[in-house]
Amino acid sequence: MTIREKGYMHWDGQLKERRFPWAPITWLGIRLAFKKKYFRFIIFSSFVPAVVFLVGIYISERIEDFQYMLRGNKQMLEVNPAYFKAYLSSDFLLFMMVMILVVSGAGLISDDLKHNSLQLYFARPLSKGSYLIGKANVIVFFLLLLTLVPGLLFVFFKLLFAGNFGFLAAYPWLPLSVIGYSLFVTGFFCAYTLLLSSLSKNRRYVSILIFAVYLFSDILFGFFYENYKKPAFALLSLKENLQQVGAWFFRLKPAHDVPWYWSLLILLAFGVAAAVVMNKRVRGVEVVK
Amino acid sequence: MIAEISDLHFSYGPIKALDGITLNLPEGAVGLLGPNGAGKSTLLRILLGFLAPQRGQGRVLGFDVRLEQAHIRRHVGYMPEDDCLIPGMDAVTFTAYFGELSGMPRQEAMKRAHDVLFYAGLGESRYRLLETYSAGMKQRLKLAQAIVHDPRVLFLDEPTSNLDPQGRKEILELIQDISSKKDIQVLISSHILSDIESVCSEVVILNKGRLAAQGKLSELRELHYRVYEIRIKGEGERFAAKIKALGCRVEETEDNLIKTYVPAEMDIREIFNAAEEEKVQVRHFVRSRTSLEDLFARAVGVD
Repeated sequence: MTIREKGYMHWDGQLKERRFPWAPITWLGIRLAFKKKYFRFIIFSSFVPAVVFLVGIYISERIEDFQYMLRGNKQMLEVNPAYFKAYLSSDFLLFMMVMILVVSGAGLISDDLKHNSLQLYFARPLSKGSYLIGKANVIVFFLLLLTLVPGLLFVFFKLLFAGNFGFLAAYPWLPLSVIGYSLFVTGFFCAYTLLLSSLSKNRRYVSILIFAVYLFSDILFGFFYENYKKPAFALLSLKENLQQVGAWFFRLKPAHDVPWYWSLLILLAFGVAAAVVMNKRVRGVEVVK
Repeated sequence: MIAEISDLHFSYGPIKALDGITLNLPEGAVGLLGPNGAGKSTLLRILLGFLAPQRGQGRVLGFDVRLEQAHIRRHVGYMPEDDCLIPGMDAVTFTAYFGELSGMPRQEAMKRAHDVLFYAGLGESRYRLLETYSAGMKQRLKLAQAIVHDPRVLFLDEPTSNLDPQGRKEILELIQDISSKKDIQVLISSHILSDIESVCSEVVILNKGRLAAQGKLSELRELHYRVYEIRIKGEGERFAAKIKALGCRVEETEDNLIKTYVPAEMDIREIFNAAEEEKVQVRHFVRSRTSLEDLFARAVGVD
């Protein structure tokens, strides 16, 4: 290994102050995630419900042609806010989102902590906020791809298949609900993942934590709910809380008889915890007092 | 001027890391020396804006360390002591990535990454995954990422740690080349005194958070004291005590050589007078070149 095969040359360009200094971090995170085979498998599998729901929208507009298949279950294919909520807060979609977080989100901060790369980031003209936005946007990108994009495409295709704006006239607020709920779910999962990712230097532990906390909270809810039949136990489950808030976004009755804002408060608490923990853990240097 | 620091204070809880440091770091290659806990790393971190000083002022390249950290970081390259990498990346992507974060356009950063990796001696292995790099290669990679954006100043924290003698020599050659021919100022914090001696013309010695010595190596060697190696025949202990009383610092080596640090203002004939008084024969009296170890030991008060 010889050195100076090429001499050092000064760079004659001009260093720019970036408008979005976090952009390289986001693109790198997305590129690194797509390098993993199993991630590609998970993300493509996650689009299966979107395709099924899209087919459902098509069939709902050609209901006479598919009469023989439905056999009286027409209400299943009634495209209304409940249909959108059913997609956006379905158990399968939420589970796939968690799987995406496990694969692409667990190492976002923990890898930097483990490999001491935070000091390299902060030796650049990059603020802590920009660093965290860059990392969070990796999650935002994947989750909005599964929530916001299909949600808006459903509205678009519903109008396209119907050939009129009747649907939008009936539910003019629906696109806003889709945007609002997609952003809310994405925001929650961002805080949830980055919080857990900044807690440990070991990506595997973080992956297990992301999966286990989500699953365990649901098991806990199931156990208590089955035994005591009190709807308040829904607050123990992350999934149920997301669905409760989803019901509010789509102007529907929540599945459990608990005010939706309690669920909202619990989910927001994750955001506060994430802000506090990340502020402490994400530093250019480890300060041992 | 690389940096101007005035009355800088920083404490980790009750422990004072920097206790009123005032110094100017001139252009060129400057060595930052000091025993563990002297405050070297804290000083580097404050200069980079990682830590905010509790009192005092500091400017790097004219930019305030409290208020203009982004400007400082744009013009400073930092090579940390610890191994740093991002798993799943190759060296070109890694180096270009940090170039981009420094404010370089993506294409330019990629082009420049190739150049600096060749310069640092990683040309052949630039597409290998970083996890597979040896300790020496990681060290070169850290240097490459520090110079990718063509900084005006380089902060190098223990740049030769983890390197074999050949790797150490090559890194030192690179640093020397950068500091002497490339118009990049270098501040090196190191425990390896010979590294500092071979690269730097100026040193700053810190001890217990205070400035112990600062200046050009040549001047420091000349001004403060001279070192003589003396071999005698006769009662050594009393002779040593006598010259100690004259203001010299005396060290006896295993082969009965007396290493004597003579203050600049003292006349060496006084040593011969002392020998005569103690009835010892001076058989060997040679002026020794003051090494950085001597200077360091003298400044921090340790052997």
